Amino acid sequence: MAGESVSKSLMLYFGPQHPGAPGNVAYKLWLDGERVIDAELVPGFLLRGFEMMMENRAWEMNIVIGYRFCVEDPDSLELGYAEAVDRLLKYDIPEKAKWVRMIQHEFGRIASHLFWANHMSGSVGLRTTGFWSIAAREEVLKWFYKVVGHRIYHSFSVPGGIRWDVPKDFKELTLKTADKIEELVKDIEAALLKNSVFKARTKGVGVIKGEDAIKLGITGPSLRAAGVSYDIRKAVPYENYDKVKFDIPTGENGDSYDRAVVRFKEIHQSLRIIRQAVEEVKPGDPWRIKLPLTVPPGTGIARVEAARGEYMIHVVSQGGRKPYRVRLRSVSLPLMTTAIKHVIKNEEVTIADFPVILGSLDPCAPDIDR
Amino acid sequence: MVWVTLKKAAKYLFRRPYTRMVPKSEPPFKTDHTRGRHILDLNKCTGCSLCKMVCPANAIDMEHIEVEEGKYPQNKKKIFPRIDLHKCTYCGLCVEYCPFSALSMTDVTGFELFTTDKSTTLKHPQELAVPPESKYRVTITKAMFLGVLQNPQVKPAGKGGSHG
Ligand code: SF4
Ligand code: SF4
Repeated sequence: MAGESVSKSLMLYFGPQHPGAPGNVAYKLWLDGERVIDAELVPGFLLRGFEMMMENRAWEMNIVIGYRFCVEDPDSLELGYAEAVDRLLKYDIPEKAKWVRMIQHEFGRIASHLFWANHMSGSVGLRTTGFWSIAAREEVLKWFYKVVGHRIYHSFSVPGGIRWDVPKDFKELTLKTADKIEELVKDIEAALLKNSVFKARTKGVGVIKGEDAIKLGITGPSLRAAGVSYDIRKAVPYENYDKVKFDIPTGENGDSYDRAVVRFKEIHQSLRIIRQAVEEVKPGDPWRIKLPLTVPPGTGIARVEAARGEYMIHVVSQGGRKPYRVRLRSVSLPLMTTAIKHVIKNEEVTIADFPVILGSLDPCAPDIDR
Repeated sequence: MVWVTLKKAAKYLFRRPYTRMVPKSEPPFKTDHTRGRHILDLNKCTGCSLCKMVCPANAIDMEHIEVEEGKYPQNKKKIFPRIDLHKCTYCGLCVEYCPFSALSMTDVTGFELFTTDKSTTLKHPQELAVPPESKYRVTITKAMFLGVLQNPQVKPAGKGGSHG
């Protein structure tokens, strides 16, 4: 950024320690008084070379690394890697595994959206609803703890199916958890979305409309809030998403408020999918097929609709024990660069609005540093 | 209106808090699949090193131990895994890939493993063979991974849409 106005402006670091920053990234903000005139992303705080790490480890070891690109929504990545390897091997995994993977995927989405609700309530100063969302997320984590054995990182969806059989009371447990979450989410929704402070801070702030959103490379809830009804689960169904009924919630104005509404509606749609999928999980069915130790040459591509948007995981094998190349399409990079620049260019963004807009876009910092 | 939030908040004012006093008034929350500290069966381990090879965190090393003549005849070289719990991600891959069911996991995890002395996180084979001091359950065993279908069905060409 060059020019007269910038040279006179004040440069301020936002993050990586700022509570409003979405994880381990920083922004350089150029300010003219209260107004933000330009923002530049400073990435690299979490650069561990995940892709390279995966290329140096065997296929089965990578299930433990493949989901660490995003802390808040690891299940989508876990599923993506498993899908990609399944496609590479051309395996048709057992039906039961597909249904359980879907339930895991949807619970992961709910957990991620609830974590976002906490972040979002924090950025507008309504901490109360934030705590409730963490409580609701706790119910999801408890479900994971019971079924999978871990709270955050699960390593449960693996190439070939799921890791082990689900517990005997899986159906009751899942339905009970879904009911509990629904009750809490309804309260959070009412308390947050109808609150006049929240409305004042988010309505008409951070507008990205349909066509622009597509051009900027945005996917996920932020694209749907802009009015584009696009969801990988419907567009190119994976697992058994073509066999369940659900709607794609969309917004009209594409502002921060619409993005919040879309995310809450998505939680309800996810619960709807979970309730349908759990009926199909039959005890006693096979849940996993054995993988060979060496993988034949070929490529596998999986696209999954994660909580933040579209992840594409591409694995290339040249035979042997290790992948030749692992590649991930990052969801957050367009959100953190092109989208935020578009907003700053088109409307008057003050320093107080910046965390709200960034929060409503919900980027996940680690996946830009993969 | 802000009242909406306040009205909803009133409902939660008289509820039991979500946080729990662990371990003061309640034991830690554990489940049947909690993945925690490992247990090694010295009588089953053959020293094949597969657990070491599969560990994604490089937490396992093989260690030679001195034993009396004739003990552990299945393990010719007398090498057993040594696990650094400080590096371990508790993924359970070592349990899954051990061909002789020598490793399993218990539900001893979280703050029960906390220590002020980092050197104690390195568990030598003899230490791993001794069950943990506190009350524990064996949660992850090799048996959970059996029953996997051996002959995979290859997908008919074309299924999977445009994903390639
Ligand atoms: S549980 Fe995973 S990380 Fe820990 S020792 Fe076993 S293979 Fe390694
Ligand atoms: S624990 Fe199992 S995998 Fe590891 S060396 Fe012993 S027999 Fe082999």
